[in-house]
Amino acid sequence: MRPLLALLLLQAFSVTPVHAKEQLLEVVVAEPYLEMHSGPGRGYPVVYVVGRDEVVTVLYSRTDWYKVRAPRGQEGWARRSELALTKLASGEPAPIPPYPDFATHRWEIGAGYGVFNHQNLVTTWGDFGLTDSLDVEFVLQQALGTIDNRYIASLGMRHTFIPEWRWFSPTAGLGFGYQYIDDKVPPKPLQTSNQLAYVSLGVRGFITRRFMWRADWRKYVVFTNQNQNEEPEEWKFGLAVFF
Amino acid sequence: MEIRLSSVLLAAALLSGCGWFHRGEKAPAAVVAEEPQGEPSIIEPQVNRRAVKTPKIKAKDFELGGYFGALSIQDFGTNPIYGVRAAYHVSEDVFLEGFLARSKAGTTSLEDVFPAITVVSDSGRRLTYYDLDVGYNVLPGEIFLGRGHAFNSALYVTVGMGDVKFADKDRFALNFGMGERLLITDWLAMHLDVRDHVFETDLTGRTKNVHNIEATLGLTFFY
Repeated sequence: MRPLLALLLLQAFSVTPVHAKEQLLEVVVAEPYLEMHSGPGRGYPVVYVVGRDEVVTVLYSRTDWYKVRAPRGQEGWARRSELALTKLASGEPAPIPPYPDFATHRWEIGAGYGVFNHQNLVTTWGDFGLTDSLDVEFVLQQALGTIDNRYIASLGMRHTFIPEWRWFSPTAGLGFGYQYIDDKVPPKPLQTSNQLAYVSLGVRGFITRRFMWRADWRKYVVFTNQNQNEEPEEWKFGLAVFF
Repeated sequence: MEIRLSSVLLAAALLSGCGWFHRGEKAPAAVVAEEPQGEPSIIEPQVNRRAVKTPKIKAKDFELGGYFGALSIQDFGTNPIYGVRAAYHVSEDVFLEGFLARSKAGTTSLEDVFPAITVVSDSGRRLTYYDLDVGYNVLPGEIFLGRGHAFNSALYVTVGMGDVKFADKDRFALNFGMGERLLITDWLAMHLDVRDHVFETDLTGRTKNVHNIEATLGLTFFY
């Protein structure tokens, strides 16, 4: 048993150098110079400048800033827009990814506040674009009322009528879901879990970079085992990040 | 007939002449006639294309960590709290953050004076919350430690909402906070936070908004 453990340990340590040999991107400064700041923000002072035709190693990025290493080992943060003007050794432009285009973005994650049937609502969602105008949305939310506390999960399709409209673009959706009721005040609800379906109307808009907002109205039909189905309404507003 | 033959011969002679011109000394006239089909006119390039893979740049926009501190639950004393936090930095100014924490409430003054009274059951004293926040780095800068060390830092404000589960009930809560992030290295940060969780409750007799202020110290990793 012990030799086996020793062998495992040895193997674990022998793996480390492989990890350290990670390939990093190297780019050549094509402009007269590239400024390196002491931190990833516009206010941080420039602490080093790399001249034209010198090679910098790109270590990693944080928001719009890239941590780079100069040929003589100095490290600092370069602005995305400035690093995008560098070149690869082959002469091609450096592969600094541009911001995703809002009209054609694929993924989206967001959260927001809403009102579900006069109850406070916390909502989170994930969204995947099948095409520019057709999305699959997955929503997880919690409605916190004085009488009960509901968890609602739903899956649906959403259509954006004119995806090219950046600032204000109407949407409509359709989907189904499931709710679980956790009662706060007796009597207990007749059913604690139900299936539901919804229609929605909404608006979305671009804010800046990879930031956007959404507002939605939903009308639910909650399928119950009584004579009448419940038909609650919901309003919500949220912020999202898209990729 | 004779003219045709001579013209063919002339053509052959011309061709052979051309061949001679191109091939240098090596080509005798007899061979020239066969040569155009046999020999490849273009050199086949023997190049193995190297697949150049440009390394990807790692984005370290996520922050994950834990925190502990003290939470003052209104009417229920101040108690230890511990939790986890995760953040995504959208830009150098804005970030989105989520918190998940738990604490345990003490006793109210009423319960201390009259031990027979219990406002909240023992299991109900457990407090858990989750929060979804938007944060803004108001004052980014550097903190100096002596002559030789400078740490990047930011003073930020957060606002958000979530659920506080206390006394066996879930309540919608708003939270307002302020904190200081100090980057020990570019991937390790220390946080000092003060946050107020506001929710409505009727635990102590009448319905009111209670303020539950927490002061915490946290450690996070960027990845």
